[in-house]
Amino acid sequence: MKRLIVGIVDYGIGNYASLQHTLNKNGQRCRISQDHNILNECDILLLPGVGAFRPAMEALKKRGLDSFLLQQARFKRPILGICLGMQLLADGSYEDGYTKGLGLIPGEIISLNNPRWHIGWNEIEILKNDILFKPSKKKSFYFNHSYTYQGPDEFQVCMSMSNKRIISAIRREKIVGVQFHPEKSQLAGSTLLNHLFREICHA
Amino acid sequence: MLKKRLIGVVTIKDSWAVQSFGYKNYLPLGRPEYLVENLERWGVDEIFVICIDRSKHNLGPDFSILKRISSMGLSTPLIYGGGICTSKDAASVIQLGAERICVDAVIHDNHEQIREMAELIGAQALIASLPVALKNNRIHHYDYRSKKSVPFTENKSSLLSQGIISEALVIDWKNEGKKNSFNLNLIKYFPTKNVPLIVFGGLSESELIARAFDYPSVVGAGVGNFLNYSEHALQILKNGLLRCAIRPNTFCESEKRH
Repeated sequence: MKRLIVGIVDYGIGNYASLQHTLNKNGQRCRISQDHNILNECDILLLPGVGAFRPAMEALKKRGLDSFLLQQARFKRPILGICLGMQLLADGSYEDGYTKGLGLIPGEIISLNNPRWHIGWNEIEILKNDILFKPSKKKSFYFNHSYTYQGPDEFQVCMSMSNKRIISAIRREKIVGVQFHPEKSQLAGSTLLNHLFREICHA
Repeated sequence: MLKKRLIGVVTIKDSWAVQSFGYKNYLPLGRPEYLVENLERWGVDEIFVICIDRSKHNLGPDFSILKRISSMGLSTPLIYGGGICTSKDAASVIQLGAERICVDAVIHDNHEQIREMAELIGAQALIASLPVALKNNRIHHYDYRSKKSVPFTENKSSLLSQGIISEALVIDWKNEGKKNSFNLNLIKYFPTKNVPLIVFGGLSESELIARAFDYPSVVGAGVGNFLNYSEHALQILKNGLLRCAIRPNTFCESEKRH
């Protein structure tokens, strides 16, 4: 079977090398780039992210990666957003004022509030029997965030319980976002990534 | 629900992993990467790498160690502490692969810097390291540079409750390295009630960790050298904590895969 090439979208925020090492160890081939031509040759685009929403959107725009990702979505290229990367897929975020997002999955990003953070390992529940997440039912993944997705039910595919319900994965056709860090979730994470990459690229 | 975490702690001095006893005696263990590799393989919930000589000598964070650890492709979340004084330091450490950072000296020195760090990397990535001891049922905060303890001030309590720090690492510094000796009263008398706590120092047995986990404010426990004393120490600890809301052992599943 052909090994898939994962294109890590480099917009200057985050540690891409560490992510690449983890994915390589997991058997994926990776390219880290902000060059549209290089990313265009990949099977799936991975949008990572740490930090705040506004500077991340600004960094994407500065490199023309916002319009590139919208174009790729139109071409049905699979896109996976991780943590802040998932939040960037939404219409916008109320973190530090309101900032427009990529608008690839309808919904908004709002503050968690009481408790203010969701940090550590938590199980995910699959809401729509989504095939991408099927092997991950009741598995624990590592979360580290203080903002969360709020949007139409049809795009919510996994949830986790803290003091309240937290949407842990969203999906619109080949565009998927996970609020947790599969790359930092040991065996559960690598199993999910392997399965998700394979299924979404062949869907 | 969120699981209570068992955090593997690697203490580094002069670039070598060491056993630390009460913040004053140290025995060399070897290269930090080997210990980190073991913790990853055993399936700890988080790895905390703490370089204890960086702030004292104004050396800044140990980027060299971070780069080496980053190149290992860890699939376990990494916390780094040591020498982080500015928001620039904090951002660089995150860029080099740590999910979260832990600050200590700057809590004594400059709260404005901590606010700047929180704005830049987010409060969820910020942990306050607090070596403390109890005197007359009052928490005293230890500064390892001056080797002096002072009562925990209102100013520091306020820093913790403002939401610019997501968790506090409560270190029983006097009992650090001493088996089964963590003073649970440090949790009971901790002055700030709305900040999640990670406890560390003298936690070697599951029974004591379970008693710490009984406090709702305790979200994690750090275990250092005790994990290296016997085979399957983490698995034994986790098996002893099954009555607590923890993530079960994953070691056997991972080993089968390899």
